[in-house]
Amino acid sequence: MAGMSDPVSLSKDRPAAAPDSGTPLGRHAAAPATGIHSGHAADGTQAAPVVTTYPVSFTGSAGEYFRLWIVNAALTVVTLGLYLPWARVRNRQYFYGHTWVDGHNFEYRADPRRLLRSYLLVGALFLAYVLTSESESLGWVSVLIALLFLGLYPWLVAQSMRFQAVNTVHRGLRFHFDGRVRDAYVAYGAANVAAAVSGGLALPWAWFMQRRYQLDHLRYGSARGLFRGDVAPMYLIALTALGVMAGAGLLLGVPAVVAVVAWMAAQGFELDSLNWMGAGLFGVFFVAAAYVILLVLQGVVWQYVRAATMRYVLNSAELGGVVRTGATFNPWRVVWISVSNGVAQLLTLGLATPWADIRRSRYLLQGVTVRAIAPLDEFAGSAGGPESALGEAATELLDIGLGF
Amino acid sequence: MPGGDSWPEVPGVFFDGRSSRDHPATLHLEPDGVRLRLAGRADHHWRAADVTVDPALPGVRRALSFPDGSRFETAEHATVRAWETRHGRNRLLGGVARLEASWGAALGAVAVTGALLWGFVTFGLPALARQAAAVTPQGVLASFDREAMRVLEGQDLIGPSGLSAARQAQLQAAFRDVSGWAGGGYGYRLLLRDGEPAGGVGMGANAFALPNGTVVMTDQLVALARSDRELIGVLAHEAGHVTQRHGLASVYQALGLSLIVTALTGDVVSASTFAAAVPVALVQGGYSRAAETQSDAVAARYLLERYGTTRPLQTILARLESAEGGADGLPDLLSTHPGTAARIEHLRQLEDAAR
Ligand SMILES: [Zn+2]
Repeated sequence: MAGMSDPVSLSKDRPAAAPDSGTPLGRHAAAPATGIHSGHAADGTQAAPVVTTYPVSFTGSAGEYFRLWIVNAALTVVTLGLYLPWARVRNRQYFYGHTWVDGHNFEYRADPRRLLRSYLLVGALFLAYVLTSESESLGWVSVLIALLFLGLYPWLVAQSMRFQAVNTVHRGLRFHFDGRVRDAYVAYGAANVAAAVSGGLALPWAWFMQRRYQLDHLRYGSARGLFRGDVAPMYLIALTALGVMAGAGLLLGVPAVVAVVAWMAAQGFELDSLNWMGAGLFGVFFVAAAYVILLVLQGVVWQYVRAATMRYVLNSAELGGVVRTGATFNPWRVVWISVSNGVAQLLTLGLATPWADIRRSRYLLQGVTVRAIAPLDEFAGSAGGPESALGEAATELLDIGLGF
Repeated sequence: MPGGDSWPEVPGVFFDGRSSRDHPATLHLEPDGVRLRLAGRADHHWRAADVTVDPALPGVRRALSFPDGSRFETAEHATVRAWETRHGRNRLLGGVARLEASWGAALGAVAVTGALLWGFVTFGLPALARQAAAVTPQGVLASFDREAMRVLEGQDLIGPSGLSAARQAQLQAAFRDVSGWAGGGYGYRLLLRDGEPAGGVGMGANAFALPNGTVVMTDQLVALARSDRELIGVLAHEAGHVTQRHGLASVYQALGLSLIVTALTGDVVSASTFAAAVPVALVQGGYSRAAETQSDAVAARYLLERYGTTRPLQTILARLESAEGGADGLPDLLSTHPGTAARIEHLRQLEDAAR
């Protein structure tokens, strides 16, 4: 029972209501018409609401998760992949179940049988795409599949958001996502096209549109989410990433050019007498090394962008006008964890994956807080519409980063 | 139900599903259902059939949910498991949870996963690839040849042949006989090319076959041969690769491998780049030992029919191996380098068996 967190004792550990340093929880606090019964607003604006900070804790352990992960991986292999949805759901359930806010954990309730049907459909389409993309006579099939995917991509994202939300439960209440498909075509279709057409100039704007779409249409019970963020910080994140990329490129590129020149000088610049093979080999090696360095650099910078936007989103998210999340994790620390995780996974042929996942979640979640001006047990439930597992399967199998 | 207090009861927390409020509660696990006891409220009873028990997860409290959307959560794993077993719930996932609790099972899972993946990659995948290659319609093959030739010519790995027209005609005639004998309705053609168009780089003395019957032979290989029979032996060997569809099988094998890597890492982007790499794989990828042996057997049959001996192929294999030290890149004929001696021995045995 060592790893078991007793809900009752955790509830007792709830920190005493501490008046926060002056920042009341925002404009919605004065008008709590969003589904939560808060008594504070009635007192008028003079009475600053009492802000309670609820720490978020993560109780997953690497050893425990390793056993779960490898047993489910083995079952997936033994069943030729048919068990995959059950494995994925169980892995995710472990992380949700070990994430606690104010003494209560989250729960992931997706039905693996429904996921299986969608996985099979998406897998079959992908296989058809790969097989026909090489063929001359059937090439149009792959083009058709690609066009279908591109055209449906925003719809799939909306479906995936809906599926993920409705299968997330906390304190017996489900989350919901009611973003309209039309808005998804703006945030994930038009915005991405604009980002591509503008040569990346509009990319941070696309990130902003997407995060706003995700948060503004999220509901917990009947309380509505709100993204209070702005576009400018997204551009700041992108500029930081670009600067780091350029700086590191210079830092690595200049010595590389010096090395090439030095090598040429050692050869006495007698280009005519240069051993063709030697020069060719050196060139190939040089280009390959530069390519790998560039890839690693790009990966590092991308990790930074993801972590930094995640922190910004968490710092700008609000629920029902009474709850705000906050994040204090350092994006560069997240980058370091991701890079060292990747190395560990490579060296252990993937066996370190569970440890890596736990390590990352632990660091991210220990830097997340939930602040509220009303008790967390006063949210009211509401009904949600139907949801399809297809979007979830497509986004998960095709590894579309939703950045959430 | 009288005597309800003798049934196991577990402390926990109850959510009514309509608000986020947590109510401390106890649940009595009775044989025919469960009874919820909330402070200051009347007991509520649910029949066993109406109770959903979520599968156990290590370290996570158990949840029982009820038809009205309410739920009860408790940390008393053992008691819930006993009730779950008695009512035959979560048989499969309960078993999975028991496996997940044991380090022995985890080690076993590592062994099983590793062994199955290794076995599939070394035995299952090649067999599947051969099957897929055998049933691939012939119309698909031509595009493979076209793409591979485009890559080869684009990379300056081969250039126009420097052989005289008369010499080329001789070799073309020899190839017509080989391809007519091999049959199968493929688009056979022999391309004579310079293997070192840019000086020291290129493929050197080499010959290789593409799926639809395009066979490329370099001037350097022609120069290396001491008789036409040696070259005819090589051409028959390449025709063997065509009729046995070895090139296509190796493409499928690489495709399967990349799909497995995709499934394991969840990375589709690297798998998509594979499609672009197919022509390169066709040219650079060597065949398996088994494929070379099969093609040698085809060549041996042709040579024995025409000349009664497999010696020409043996000699050029031996000469290629001794010349290979200076050449760049592994010639197709020697792509499974350590086996050259064994291949020569195999050809000798085939000749002995024919006598
Ligand atoms: Zn061969």
